[in-house]
Amino acid sequence: MKKGNFEERRQQAWREFDDLVGSLERRKPMAGVSELPRRFREMCADLALANHRMYGGEVVTRLNDLVIRGYKMLYRSQRKGGESFVRFVVRDFPAAVRKDWRLFWLCNLMFWVPFGVMMAMAWIDLDWVQAILGPSGMSGLEQMYGGEKEQLSYLRSEFGSNFQMFGHYIQNNVSIDFRIFAGGIVACLGTIFFLVYNGLAIGASAGYVTYACNPESFWTFVAGHSSFELIGMVIAGMAGMRLGLAVLKPGRITRAKAIGMAAKKALPLIYGAAGMTAIAAVIEGFWSAQGLPSNVKYTFGILMWLLHVAYFLLLGRGEREA
Amino acid sequence: MSTEASQNRLDTLQPIELAEGVEVRLRIAGPLLRGGALGIDLAIQWAFILLAGFILSLTGMVVGGLTAVGLISLMWFFVWWWYPVFFEAGPWGATFGKKILGLRVVQKSGSPITFGQAVLRNFLRYADGMPFLGFGVMGIPTFGFGVGVLVATQRFQRLGDLAAGTVVIYDKVPPEPVVPSPPALETIAPPMALRPEEVKALSAFTDRAGLWSEGRRIEIADHARELSGSKGAAGVTRLTAMARWLQERK
Repeated sequence: MKKGNFEERRQQAWREFDDLVGSLERRKPMAGVSELPRRFREMCADLALANHRMYGGEVVTRLNDLVIRGYKMLYRSQRKGGESFVRFVVRDFPAAVRKDWRLFWLCNLMFWVPFGVMMAMAWIDLDWVQAILGPSGMSGLEQMYGGEKEQLSYLRSEFGSNFQMFGHYIQNNVSIDFRIFAGGIVACLGTIFFLVYNGLAIGASAGYVTYACNPESFWTFVAGHSSFELIGMVIAGMAGMRLGLAVLKPGRITRAKAIGMAAKKALPLIYGAAGMTAIAAVIEGFWSAQGLPSNVKYTFGILMWLLHVAYFLLLGRGEREA
Repeated sequence: MSTEASQNRLDTLQPIELAEGVEVRLRIAGPLLRGGALGIDLAIQWAFILLAGFILSLTGMVVGGLTAVGLISLMWFFVWWWYPVFFEAGPWGATFGKKILGLRVVQKSGSPITFGQAVLRNFLRYADGMPFLGFGVMGIPTFGFGVGVLVATQRFQRLGDLAAGTVVIYDKVPPEPVVPSPPALETIAPPMALRPEEVKALSAFTDRAGLWSEGRRIEIADHARELSGSKGAAGVTRLTAMARWLQERK
C-alpha cells in the first residue's frame, strides 16, 4: 500500500480518535468514550505499520502524538480513597516498619547512643554539653524550663500561641524528617548526620535541663509528644537508609534500578514518619504545654509509648502484603 | 526495528515501547530548560510566600498576631514541600514553571506519574540541591549533585528522577516541517539494497528538500553520490527519483 493510500484510508479514524481524546482532555467526554481502548489499539497498530513501512515524517509524527495522548488518557492513575488510607494505617505501615526491623534498630542506635552519651555528659563533664548547646541555647533552655513552677503554660497564655507553635512544629519537624530521608541518597551520609546530630542536640538539651534547670517542667512537657516525634524521626531515618544502602550495595542490579526499588520501599516509611510527626505537632501545640498535673501528663506520655509498642508489634500481622 | 539505531543517536528522542507493543518517541528535556523551569517555580514560590505572608500579617492584626504566625509557618511548609508534588501529580503533570516552558513529568513508560512518584522526586530535590553554599546543611543549594547526575544519565534524570522512575519531557513535540521538493519526473530503482536508516534518510531528504536552496540541496545530495552515482543537480534528481521508487514500491 502506498503512503498516500494508507493516509486516505485511515484519515477518518485518526480524526475521530483525535476528537475523542480531545474531549477527554477537556474533561467533557463525548459519546462513544467506551470505545477508547479499541480505538487506541487501532492507533497503535497504525503507528507500528507506518514505522515498519517507513512512511516517515508527517504520518509517523502525527500517529506518535495521537498514541501518546491516548496513552495518557487510558492509563491515568486513579486517586485512591479513604479505604486505602485506613489500610495503610492499620496494616501496611506497621508491617513495613517490622519488615525492616534491622534498619529500625540501627537508626534507633544512631539516635539514642548520642542521646544517652550527652545525657550522661551533663553529670560527667558539663563542658561537652555546653559546647553543643552554646550560650544562646543554654539561656533559651533556662528561660523555658528554669523556674520553680511550670513556665511553659505561662509563655503560652497569649491568644493563638498554641496554634503558632503547632504551625512551627509542622514546618520545622516534618521538614527535618524529609531532609533525613532525602539526605540518605548520598550514600546514607545525610541520614546518619541528621540522626546523630539530633541525638546529640536533644540529648544535650535534656541533660542540661535535668542537671541545671527544673527537670519536671521539661519532662512533663515532652512526655506527651516524644513517642510520636522521636519514633517518627527514626522511621524517616529508615527510609533514608534504604535509599543509601541501594547506592552502596545495589546487589546484582544496576544502581539506578536499585535506587528505584528502594524508593518504592521507602515511600510508606516516609508517609508514616510524616504522619507521626504531624500528630506530634498537634500534641506538642495543644496538649504538652497545658497546665495540667504532672502525673496526668506522665501517664499520658507512658500510654503513648505503650501504644506505639503495641501498634508496631501487633498491627498488620497475618495478612500477606499485596 | 529502529530501537537499536536510536540508542546510539546523539539527540534527545527516546524510543519507549508501550504495553501495546508499539514504540512511541518522547523528547527528553535537557538541564538548561529544566533549570529555567526551576527558576520560574522559585520565583512563583517566593512571590506567593511574600504576598500571602503580607496578607496574613495584615489579618493577623485583627484576629491575633500569633495565629497568623502559625499560619505563615504552615504555608511555608506547604509551599516548599508540597506545591510541586500536587501540581505534578495533578492533571497537568507539571509545576507552573514546567507548564510555561512546555515540559511535563512522566513515568519512564510515558504514562502520567503517581502521587508517590511526585513525592519521591520532589522531596529528593533536597539531595539534588547539594552541595550547599554556607550554613552547612541549610545553606544555598548549588544543585551540583542534581546537574552532575542529570548529565551522566541517558535520559537526563536527576537523583529524584532516578528514585521515582520519572523523566521530564517536552509536552508537545513540534512536528518537523515538511516541505517536499518538486516531484520527481521519473522513478529509478536504487542500485543496491538499502538499509532501513538509509531509506528513512532518503525520504526525509525529499520531505524537506523544499526548505532549502538549490545549492544546499546539491551540497547534501553530494554526500550520497555513491548511491546516486552523479554529482550536482543530476544527483539531486536521481535521489528524488529513487525516493519516489521506494515510496511507490510499497
